[in-house]
Amino acid sequence: MSSKMDGGGGGGMGNACYVYPGSPATPGRVTPDVIFRRGIYMNGSMRMDDGNSVPIWGFTDLNAGQGQMDQMGGGSFPSAAMRVTEGQIVHTELTVNMMWAHTVHHHGIEPSQENDGVGHLSWDVMGGTYTYQWRPMHAGTYFYHCHTNTPLHAEMGMYGGLIVDPKPTPGDAPGTKRAFYNGPKYDVEAIWAADEIDPAWHNLNWAAGTCGGDVGLNNLNPKYFIITGVDGKTSALTHPGVAVTMTLGQTLLARYICAGFHPQKIDFGGLTVDVVASDGRPLPAVWKTGSIDAHSAERYDCIIKPSSRGTWTVTVQFLHWRTGAVMGTARTRINVV
Amino acid sequence: MERRGFLKAGTAGFASLMTGAGMLTWSPRSEAATISKTYYITAGTQTMPDGVSVYVKGFSNSAADLNIPAAPLICQEGDTLSITVINRLAVTHNFVIGGLKTGDAPLASTGDIPAGGSKTLTYTVPTGKAGSYLFYDNKTSYNVFLGLHGGLAIMPAGKSDELYPGSPKFKPNRQQFWIFNDIDPALNRAVQQGTAIPSSFTPRYFTINGLTSLPPGAPGHSDPARDALYDPRSKLSGYVGERTLVRMLNAGMCSHAVHTHANHMEWLTDRGTVRPAVWKKDTLYLRNQLGKIDAIFPFEAPPDAYPPVTKGIFPMHLHDEMSQTAGGGLYQFGSMTEIVFK
Repeated sequence: MSSKMDGGGGGGMGNACYVYPGSPATPGRVTPDVIFRRGIYMNGSMRMDDGNSVPIWGFTDLNAGQGQMDQMGGGSFPSAAMRVTEGQIVHTELTVNMMWAHTVHHHGIEPSQENDGVGHLSWDVMGGTYTYQWRPMHAGTYFYHCHTNTPLHAEMGMYGGLIVDPKPTPGDAPGTKRAFYNGPKYDVEAIWAADEIDPAWHNLNWAAGTCGGDVGLNNLNPKYFIITGVDGKTSALTHPGVAVTMTLGQTLLARYICAGFHPQKIDFGGLTVDVVASDGRPLPAVWKTGSIDAHSAERYDCIIKPSSRGTWTVTVQFLHWRTGAVMGTARTRINVV
Repeated sequence: MERRGFLKAGTAGFASLMTGAGMLTWSPRSEAATISKTYYITAGTQTMPDGVSVYVKGFSNSAADLNIPAAPLICQEGDTLSITVINRLAVTHNFVIGGLKTGDAPLASTGDIPAGGSKTLTYTVPTGKAGSYLFYDNKTSYNVFLGLHGGLAIMPAGKSDELYPGSPKFKPNRQQFWIFNDIDPALNRAVQQGTAIPSSFTPRYFTINGLTSLPPGAPGHSDPARDALYDPRSKLSGYVGERTLVRMLNAGMCSHAVHTHANHMEWLTDRGTVRPAVWKKDTLYLRNQLGKIDAIFPFEAPPDAYPPVTKGIFPMHLHDEMSQTAGGGLYQFGSMTEIVFK
């Protein structure tokens, strides 16, 4: 397709403007190797370490029995990760009711225009189902997120991890895990999606600001700093879904996703890590470092093999995009036993 | 009040903020030449997507123009730049070509140009200075944010397809600037009215090469003089294989995450320093405080499409999504352009 969906935009859609509803048939649709079925929840919440709760939106996993656009919650935060193997044909089936519009953009995956999930260049799914068809050709760390009114929808939590595993490297024993084809092996894996939350944004309507008016989407002043859906103030230090426990001799692959909008600096607490890939592409040479400066949506794949038992605290600093001031930190741990 | 030379973008008889065609054109020479250019420092107003009128300044092509950013310059090592800057405004300004790398002294400067005055800068580019440069006004720390900036491309002598000697190659005559700016109208208003400069800024508008995107259905959508999606200076358009060098300059207040759909970029430099190896990235960290990046957009068929495709339209946008808004809302009216696979 080389033309745009000009209809539907600008005139308003209820209280929404510049959304482009559509859910046509998928061009060139074939039988896939993998199917993800996603619905929407917009009534979730996340409880913070200070006892307060913040409203959260996300994608439900319909294959896992989570709610079908029923507003009953039930979705996880972050949304359920997608995991595929390079070369597989994948369908992401997104179903949205008539009350709002959303898309799935598989960030870093580079499909056709129709399957890229960018509303103004294709369509926003509203009152229907669209099946995104794609075939990942590069192993690595990605994430998916809604690309409708993106500042708000991504801030609200509409994202999840997306891991593309490599094809097996010849000679590998079954179950061998590598970062990419013929790349470094690992035993233990962590997905650290570091994000910041400004509660002032979290009571807005899904279409807030799209017709104009100042709803503050230029000004993100986060109060909470989280790692993969867990408050980084205290909980992420020990949460089993975030903190790593490994045995001496094992190799960790830490997949770091800068999932917020402000720059970040991740520090590995004195460990030197081997950065082997970024944004789903192997680096030409390993980059050894103790910290990484990153900005929104960058990913870094870090191989970590501590040489002794102990505990290392990994700290993510969130830096204001204009002043560079540290707005807050989120921490987790690597425990080697 | 700064009233001298006051212009309004988009009015009759005014050329518009947009200057020039798309790609930078360049024919390498075996001998050095003198590149002469005259800029006029002018001021006026620019209407933002939400209707707010903002006072801006630019290095313009004539006294009747208001060009933001300035018309770009391109030369090669060994050339002599002869740049005359005529200050049409009522306050002192200057014109500085920033250094190649962070911490480098500026390449050259006019020094102060008093109100109504002019200065000529003459600078012969030595070998080793190939790269991308921002020229700007540093008479104050904030003049650059008002629009007083532009891009200078220095080519390796005799080359048309390299950023620096031996760099990965791009297709000759396929190079362009993406110059980003962030606008806090409170600053611009204070400058216009001569009141105290705010001690802190909160930008409300975000531009690429002086314009914001205007999505389908918006007034001005698809007008190349108004819509950053269609501005030929910003829009990347090419056939598969037409490797294009993008010189990204950050004139604004904020650090940005430059994200291309459809292809990963080949990351060549960061703040003027050649990277030790070329990484392929879909998102690049463009620092504030005059940060810059050079990257090649390879125009390879989108690798993850099934069935395979060679055509399509995709966005380049900043992933610090606050930058995709105007006036605190209006998503899709920020710093974004299109990537067109023809």
